[in-house]
Amino acid sequence: MKSKSKRTKSFLLFALFVFPAVIFVLFATDIPFIMNLYYSVFDWNGVGKSMTFVGLDNYIKIFTNDSLFWKGVKFTLKFAVFYVLIVNALSLTVALVMSRETKTTSVGRAFYYVPYIISLTAISLIWKFILGPGFEALYSVTGWEIFNWSWLGTPKLAFYVVVIMAVWQNLGFYMVNYIAGIIAVPKELMEAARIDGAGSIQVFLKITLPMIMPAISICMLTSLTFAFKLFDIIMVFTKGGPANGTVTVAYNIYKEAFVNNKYGLATAKSLVFVVFVLIVTAIQMKVTKSREVEA
Amino acid sequence: MKKKPKNLRQINGLSIVIFLFSIFWLMPLLLIFINSFKPYNDIIQDFMALPKSWKLDMYIETWTKFNFPMLIGNTLLYTACTVVAVALLAPMAAYRLARTDHKLSKVCFVLIIMPMMVPFQSYMITLTKMVANIGLTGNRLGYILVSIGLCMPLAVYMIHGFVKNVPIELEECARIDGATEIRTYFSIVLPLLKPILTTVVVLDTLATWNDIITNQLIVGGKAGAMNIQNALYMQFSAQTADWEHALPGIVMSMIPSLIFFVAMQKHIVGGVTAGAVKG
Repeated sequence: MKSKSKRTKSFLLFALFVFPAVIFVLFATDIPFIMNLYYSVFDWNGVGKSMTFVGLDNYIKIFTNDSLFWKGVKFTLKFAVFYVLIVNALSLTVALVMSRETKTTSVGRAFYYVPYIISLTAISLIWKFILGPGFEALYSVTGWEIFNWSWLGTPKLAFYVVVIMAVWQNLGFYMVNYIAGIIAVPKELMEAARIDGAGSIQVFLKITLPMIMPAISICMLTSLTFAFKLFDIIMVFTKGGPANGTVTVAYNIYKEAFVNNKYGLATAKSLVFVVFVLIVTAIQMKVTKSREVEA
Repeated sequence: MKKKPKNLRQINGLSIVIFLFSIFWLMPLLLIFINSFKPYNDIIQDFMALPKSWKLDMYIETWTKFNFPMLIGNTLLYTACTVVAVALLAPMAAYRLARTDHKLSKVCFVLIIMPMMVPFQSYMITLTKMVANIGLTGNRLGYILVSIGLCMPLAVYMIHGFVKNVPIELEECARIDGATEIRTYFSIVLPLLKPILTTVVVLDTLATWNDIITNQLIVGGKAGAMNIQNALYMQFSAQTADWEHALPGIVMSMIPSLIFFVAMQKHIVGGVTAGAVKG
């Protein structure tokens, strides 16, 4: 009898501590995610009462008859290649210089980091302003054709605008991660190599680079998942335009649901999308696990 | 020995480029700032020049015309509610989950962590629909509930990792001395979690203040419930934007983030690295 009441007490305690958090998460994420599974086998416009069970038709449609979705996949993959390479190369270079602890570097770090802490609204309006009135003004002064190009009106150029914006916004984040990795490299190793006559490029390639491999893998995978999930910039800034030239997978799903009102199809797409992203996230979790134990 | 000066020169050459580049990196923000004081004609005439006068007229006009007090009030309310709820509930859950090992504990942990694996974009449309079905669209409370739920997983995950390294002996001592479980938690465990809790608070403050996507989805264009980011976005993202008001608006919306960044720089940078696993 005593042990039973003790067990009830420990359950109540557990419920008191854990359930409130669980309820919030269930409401905002778990339940909507599971409902995706249910909706994905229906033909439904998201508003009306008529839901027709269509089985796997939505999924079949995605793989056989949905050119815009695959255009989105292509754009997302292309973006991923550009973004991952540029942001990592640039932030690693910056981090190499900024990892020294001086007053100037702490100011420099802050400069690179600031775009990461301002909102997407500000970022998108800032770039809209620069590419619009800003470039117009610069063109009339310099006469350089580059300022006269229609950066947001041509799909090809809009792609580069999206890449530049994403790199500008996020560089600071990767820089900070790289700096943390570089600082952890024992100074004695570098000094020993220098005394043995290694040049700074040699020191970087033979000592720093192998020692910061964990940081590199984390940044590579984080940037890759970011690229796969690219949505915010598209929704706020380009809205997929011009001529569907910047539609990503995630934005295609959003549009399918709220613009085309094909709600069932959109949920099916979002599940296909989850599988894409899960594969990358699973690798990411595995790689970062060793690090998280130390922290 | 001869080689050493050459190495130093190489490093300095790169350093100078990187430092100059950092100013270039900040350029877009500087341009927004100086142009926010100019009338539109001056912007077009001389984009890079400093304004002729630093009068705050347009700032004051934007402040009243677009009802900034209400927008800032809403955003502060959202940020405060989210941060307080997460800072209260996440460590409780994380602590209990780290200290128990039964099946229910494992199930709850998976339920809380799952959203970190699947992208928000995959369930946001169903979430929006669900919130609409229970009649909370365009509603302050609806947005706050969603915001708390979205911030919770990473917070619990980070604190959970931290609790595992807090020695259990302290709690056992307190229990032997006759403290209840709840008392032990609040007076022994919670103070020990302060470092990770600071990180969580800082991350969630920035995330909620800067949120546009969730506010857009849940609140839409409902005038009374928009946060500042959403309102500026709705107001100024049209084809021909009203830059004379938009620029002061952007600057004012950024000032709190920037002040917060300067004050909490250490925690922000440390916290972001700690949260990197989420991606």
